[in-house]
Order: sequence, then C-alpha cells, then structure tokens
Amino acid sequence: MNKRKVTFTVNGERHELVVEPNELLLNVLREKLGLTGTKYACGKGQCGACTVLVNGESFLSCLTLAVAVDGAEIRTIEGVAEPDGTLDPIQEAFLDSSAIQCGFCTPGMVLMGRELLNRNPRATEEEIREQIKGNLCRCTGYFSIVRAIKSCCEK
Amino acid sequence: MEQRVFSTIGKVTRRKEGIARVTGKEVFSSDVTLPGMLFARVLRSPYPHAKVLSVDTEEAEKMGAICVTPDEVPQIRYNERQVSIPSKTYRDRTVLPEVVRHVGEGVVGVAARTEALAEEAVRRVKVEWERLPAVFDPFEAMKEGAPAVHEDVMLGDVRLPIKNNIACVREVSEGDIEEGFSIADFIVEEEFRTGRAYHTQLETKAVVCRPEPDGGITVWPTAQSIHNTRQLLGRIFDIPLSKVNVVRVPIGGAFGSSIQMNTAVAVCAALALKAKRPVKLCLTREEDMYDHCKYPSIIRLKYGIKKDGTITAGEMQTVVDIGAHNIQAYPLLGCMAGWFVSLYRMPHMHFHGTAVYTNKAPACAMQGYGNPQVSFAVESMMDILAEKVGMDPVDLRLKNYVGLGETFWGQGPTVRSIIRSCGVEEMLSKGKEKIGWDKRGKPEEKRGRYRRGIGVGRSFHTSGTGAPMPGEVIDYSTAMVKVNEDGSVDYLTALMCHGGGTLEAGAKIVAEVMGVPLDKVGISPSDTRSTGYDVCTHATRGVYCGGAAIKKAAESAKKILLEFASRLLEVNPDALQIRPDEELGQGVIFLEGAKDKAITVGEVAKTAQLKGWGTAIAVESHRQVNCPPCFVTNFIEVEVDTETGNVRPTRAVAAVDAGTVINPDLAAGQLEGGLCRGIGLALLEDTDYDRDTGELTCGASLVDYKTYTAVDMPFVDDLEAFFANTYEPSGPFGAKGVGEAANNCTAGTVANAVYNAIGIRFKEAPITPEKVLKALKENGAAKRRAERND
Repeated sequence: MNKRKVTFTVNGERHELVVEPNELLLNVLREKLGLTGTKYACGKGQCGACTVLVNGESFLSCLTLAVAVDGAEIRTIEGVAEPDGTLDPIQEAFLDSSAIQCGFCTPGMVLMGRELLNRNPRATEEEIREQIKGNLCRCTGYFSIVRAIKSCCEK
Repeated sequence: MEQRVFSTIGKVTRRKEGIARVTGKEVFSSDVTLPGMLFARVLRSPYPHAKVLSVDTEEAEKMGAICVTPDEVPQIRYNERQVSIPSKTYRDRTVLPEVVRHVGEGVVGVAARTEALAEEAVRRVKVEWERLPAVFDPFEAMKEGAPAVHEDVMLGDVRLPIKNNIACVREVSEGDIEEGFSIADFIVEEEFRTGRAYHTQLETKAVVCRPEPDGGITVWPTAQSIHNTRQLLGRIFDIPLSKVNVVRVPIGGAFGSSIQMNTAVAVCAALALKAKRPVKLCLTREEDMYDHCKYPSIIRLKYGIKKDGTITAGEMQTVVDIGAHNIQAYPLLGCMAGWFVSLYRMPHMHFHGTAVYTNKAPACAMQGYGNPQVSFAVESMMDILAEKVGMDPVDLRLKNYVGLGETFWGQGPTVRSIIRSCGVEEMLSKGKEKIGWDKRGKPEEKRGRYRRGIGVGRSFHTSGTGAPMPGEVIDYSTAMVKVNEDGSVDYLTALMCHGGGTLEAGAKIVAEVMGVPLDKVGISPSDTRSTGYDVCTHATRGVYCGGAAIKKAAESAKKILLEFASRLLEVNPDALQIRPDEELGQGVIFLEGAKDKAITVGEVAKTAQLKGWGTAIAVESHRQVNCPPCFVTNFIEVEVDTETGNVRPTRAVAAVDAGTVINPDLAAGQLEGGLCRGIGLALLEDTDYDRDTGELTCGASLVDYKTYTAVDMPFVDDLEAFFANTYEPSGPFGAKGVGEAANNCTAGTVANAVYNAIGIRFKEAPITPEKVLKALKENGAAKRRAERND
C-alpha cells in the first residue's frame, strides 16, 4: 500500500507524518507520537476509551483513519490541561468528585465531559448521562463521573 | 487504647494517583515501551478441544518473526494462582499446551517488529489439528463416556487422574442435618442459577518482558500479585528469583481477573527469552473474553424453618462449571460453604460442592469469589422463607443473621474467626427508613404497565484470609516506611491498588501514625526485587491486612525517629508525640506542655544523618490472625415494564460496615460500582457458547455481551451510600474491608425487588426481559385458569 503524508495539529503542536492508508488514529497517537493517554480497550468503537476531540468534536480514534483527519486539530487527554500544567476545571472536578478509580476510562470520560461543557454548559443530568453512554466504566457505576461533570455545569 | 479521633484517616482528599490519571500520564502495562521492543501475537485454537499434531513456523520465521511452540517451552504443569498452599494447589496448565481445551487457548507465540507484522506472521504459521469431542454442559460432562477435558492433573506434586471431568469435590457438615430438618415446621427447597459473567475490566490483559544480560528477566504485567508472578516465572523458566523482577504497574480494572499470573505473561516471557529482546503482548478484547470469566453457579438450596422464623437446618448442593482449567475451584468451593454458613445461623448444615471441567473459557475469581452466587440463592430464599412463615423479610434476617461473638468462616472451613464488630442491625434499620420500606406495598396491589418493587438483601465479605492458625490460604503482607531528610515519608509495599484506593489508604495510615501531613507521604514505586512478600490484593484484604503491615512498619520507623528526637530534646522517647503542622508542611515532634521541647521531623531526620545515627526506616511483615466480615446491605427499587419485560433500577440505598472508614469518598465509590456490577449480574450478564463451534455466542464483543452504561443507572440523587458506625478491634485504626462486599448482596436484592413488583420469583440470573415476559405470560395464563376454575 502507498504511504500517505498527513498533517495535523495535536494539542497545539503541528505534526507531519507518513502513515499507511489503513493506519488508525489511535495507533498513530500512541505509537508514533507517544501519547499513550488515549487507550485501547476494544478496537471496535464499543467502549469509548480511545476518545479524542477532532476539531472540538468527540471521535473514536480506534475507528478513525489517520488519513481522515488530515488538516484537523486534535486534542487528546494530554492536551486538556494548560501547557503550564494548570488543570482544566473538568479535571479538577474529576479529582474533587473522586471520579477516578482504576483510571483507564478516565481520559475518554474527561474528554466527553469537556465536549459537552463546550457545547452545553447548562447540561442536565440526563444530558450528561446521554453524553457519556458510549463510554464504559466498570469501576464506578458512573455515579461519581456524573457528579463530576454535573459540578462543572452552570445551575 | 483505641484511637478514634484522627488527623488524616476518614478525611476526603484528592487521591494521589488522580493527577496522573486525569492528565493521561498514568503508565499501564500496555503503555510501557522499551527500546528495541518487539510486539507479540498468539496463534489461538479455533476449536474447543483439539490435539496439536504439528506446528510449522518456517514461513513466519522467514519474515524475521520469532516463534515459540509447545515443544520449545518448559512442559511444567502449573497453576497460575499461587494463593493456596502447594498441597492444595491443582496444576493443569503449561505455557503452551499440546492439547487445547477451549476456543482461544494459545498454542504458538509470535513476535515481530510491529503488531501488524506479528499478525501477518501468525497467519503464516501452519498447525495441524486433530479435533477431539468437546463438552459444554457440566451435567453432560459428569456422565460416563463424556469427552475427557483432562486425563490427569497434578495436585501438589502428585499425579491425580480426573474421572468424569470432576475437578474437585468438597463436602462440609456440622451438626446432624436430618435432625435439623426433622425439627422444622416447614422445609423449603429451590434451585438457583447465576451466569458466567465476564469481568469486563477495561484494560485487556497486557505484559512487557525484558530479558536481562545476566540471564534474568524484568516483567511489567497486569497483575494483582507481583510476587506470585515472580515465583511462577522463576519456577517455569528455572531462573533464580533474584533475577526475576516483576514491576508493579497500575491496572486498568481487575475484579479478580488478574489474581492469577495471566497466561499472556508466560507466553511473552518465553518469547522475550528466545528473542533476547523486550517483547510486548497486549490481548485484544476478543482474546480477553476467551481468557476468563466469573464462576457460574447452580445451587440447590434447602432450609428447615420453625413457625417463629428460627432456621433449624440448611443444605446447599452446588455444581460449578469451571471451564477448561482449574484455577482455584477447590478454595472456591470451601468459600461457598463458608459464605453459606456465615450468612444465617444453622445448628445443622450440610454443603456439597462439585467443580466440573468443560471446554469453555476457564472461570476464575470475580468480585466476591462465590459470594454473589451464594448470596443470590440465600437472600432470595430468605424472602421465600419470610413469606412462608408470615414474617417481614427484614425481621427474618434480623432473627437469624450471624453477628457479634459468633463464628465467621472467612475463607472456607479452615479459616474461622470470631466476629468482633457488626453493623447489621444499624444498616437494616437505617436502610429501611431511607428507601421507604414500609410503603413498598404488596405485588398483588400493583397495577399498570410499569410496576415498582423494593427488595432487601444483605451479605458480607471476608477482610482477608488471616486466621489464628495457618490454613490452606497464604496471607501476609510486608511494608517498609522511611523518614526523609525534609520530614516527608516514603512507604513501600508490594500491595496493589485496583482503583478502589488501597494505596491511598496506606498513605493515610502512614500519615496518621507518623503525624505528618498526607501530602508528605509518598507511595514508592514497587517491584519484587525491592519489596518483601505480599500474597495478593484479593479477598478484600488490602486495607485490613496490607494496611496493618503498613501501620506496623510506620510504628517501627516512628519509634526510631522518636529515639533520635529524644537525644536532641533530652526527653524520654516514650513521652514524645508527633502532630502534623500544616503551616510548616511537616510533622512536629513535641513534649506536651513544654514549648521549648519541639522539633520538626525533618530536622530530626537530617540531624540523625549528619551525626551518623542512621535513617528512621523499618520493614515489617505482618499476618492478621482474623478475617472479620465487612457486612453489606442493599435496598433497591426496580421498575418492571410488563410490556417489554425490561427491569430498570430506579433507586438504591447501599450500606457497608467497614469499621473505621479510611477513604470515605473512595469507599462510597466502591459501593456504587459494586452496586452497578451486581445489578448487571442480576439482570444482564452471562456468556453462552455455541455447542457446535465452542465459540461465545456474543461474538466476544462488548456490545453484544452487554454491560450497563451511564443511562441505565439511577440518578445520583436516587442513590444513597452510607457506612455503619463500627470499629473493628483487630483492624488498622479499626478498619475492615469494603471491596468485594460491595456487590455481594446486590443480585439477590434485585431478584427480591422484582418479586415485590410483579409477584414472580426468578431463580435464574440474569433476569432478562425474555424471561420476565415469558413468566408474566405463564403467570397470566395460570391466573386465568384459576379464575375459570373458581
């Protein structure tokens, strides 16, 4: 297969990469860019652990070809905090609501929460649950995660 | 004297691992990358039972791939779980088998420069199979002439022939069962079943192995016990333990799935040793779903009861379909007997358990180790008995539960201890109030399409497997505590945290003992080379057993520190105390009432170093001589849609008696998570197999397996978690466990709630919409027949 050149921005940094046409964004992020915060847990778009934001919208990186995001702005969990390390309010909320157990779903959940708050800062609990229903968490029963996102919503 | 006022314990704080997890910086096994690392894939059996006649790896090796085949690995039979003593350990595994016993069992390991190349190389390996007849049903498997899953296994060092696929049997009796039934006014007998749920830990099993130049190996595995992984690898590959270093890596969910050394670890180690390069092996979700599952249960339960609600006798017979390997069925059966005995008083009891091999994925521990299964049966039965004798289900439980001063079997018949703390009554009475128990109504009064019902259930789990005498299960922990020159403290242990907050609790225990602020306690990275033995983070033992070892080490380090301080302050060390000083950001050692007799921990540590007195450091091993039950109670409301058969949890109250609660937020989080998984066991989760192909009917897919998502759980305001106000005298600062207890009574509670909603008793979990609809239809037909006959 002919390799292709792609250019995209990841967490504000521009990357020019040569990829296989069938190479997944998940693998490019993890293996080529060393951004291992994006997780593999099913490879079929069934669990949400590989969630990233592409131009502000949530994408499953295990179902997204790297060539399909040519020119896009991508944000991974490593790019949610400010470059100086200042945490985003959604990250603070996850810490304060004890919404982290094993932590494997956390990157996806944080990004889904961030996307929702950008779009709808007054989200209701129903809307929060709807937003994260594609992201599996086996540890928490979702309660603390919902509380964390809820605590960031304007009343 | 008991300490009940704490500076750090019981406070809600941001967990130490949180920052790495919320920023994507946490490194799990699958994230470990080493220079020159190869990637492995495994050729797996497409058949449920087959003999490997030949393996041809030539084409794969031509691509540059490294391959290991069954005849290249040590044919040592092992048991991946190293928690029982050797004479009670059944061994039926090899690194790569010459006979495969379930679909997905690995036969050839392949490593190449990339995962894609390794996949390609696997496709080029040729295996000649001889298919063997397979068996999937445990009762079929026990019949004469059924296909033999194993001809023989090893029990300790003795060869044990396997007859009729019976892996092991356990029988326990107390009193005289016939006498017990003869004095009963009623005898009730029912059969209950629970499914082969899949752990669905979010991180699939993964491992990285690096061969070392000295002939040793370093391993980064998903594991609940690094020391047991080390011991097994040393034995299988004949490497001295001093050259096998297993590193503690955070685990992306466990729930019991990694109590044992995972099969991937041995295959990856074999590849790394052959390749002489680091190798990474991460299971795909499909591979992981064929790797392990929960023990299913078929339980025949018989109780004798008097009219006044006194239970006179109980008998439990269980058949457990363990799948292709006996990972821990013998202790499981003992534990099931123990859970049965310890729930409700029975002067006369009998237990008979049989574990049966089939050609399915091997079952292993999953949160509760037989307890959710036993509690599903017993808690369903308590409601049946209550109705029979005309008592409120809560009152019947209060009358018969095993509580304070009575004997608890924490790990089967050989591990017994006396109950010294008990919050059962408090949790039942408060829980009743909170859920509105008295307003729940009777099923026959409920009308309409959507019918709500409230159920109660209670259970417990053991806190560890300690006992006054050594039993069949190993249980101790080792910890090291060290005071640094700036007054901060490091603590080191091989204990594992699966997410519930075990290591955070350890840090709080250190802070409490040492009198230093929590943020000045560091959790040291851990591996087998630098730590003393810790059996495993399992059996809800992390805080109670591991925490006790950490407390002991902290007390010893504190003693040394105070001795140093006593030289500087010229005060008897026994008169000195330490308190955390938030302003100074460290502990202050002081003599009460004497202002001039105070010095910071850091100053003492630094001065001791400059004067050459030494470091305040201590290592302690500790075995608990008890295993107190952490009791748990659920009240759950469900809504049954009588048109679709769907059952939806709408409200819940979950309570645990964990003694002193060290991490209140994380303990509540465990209760919430346990509730969700327990409801899954009740309503949703099972794995079934195609009898022709031996494949999972869910296609090893998460969506078709089905677990609950955020939209399926009650709203946050409709859930309440609370703690009983108790103190366990034998626990560190009065603490017991939470972990597994959190889900143990949930499935039974849900079944009781469904009964309260529609008046139908489901004895087989999961209670799927199909089963509900079928039962509603049959029930309706039966009612109509009864009306016609009137």
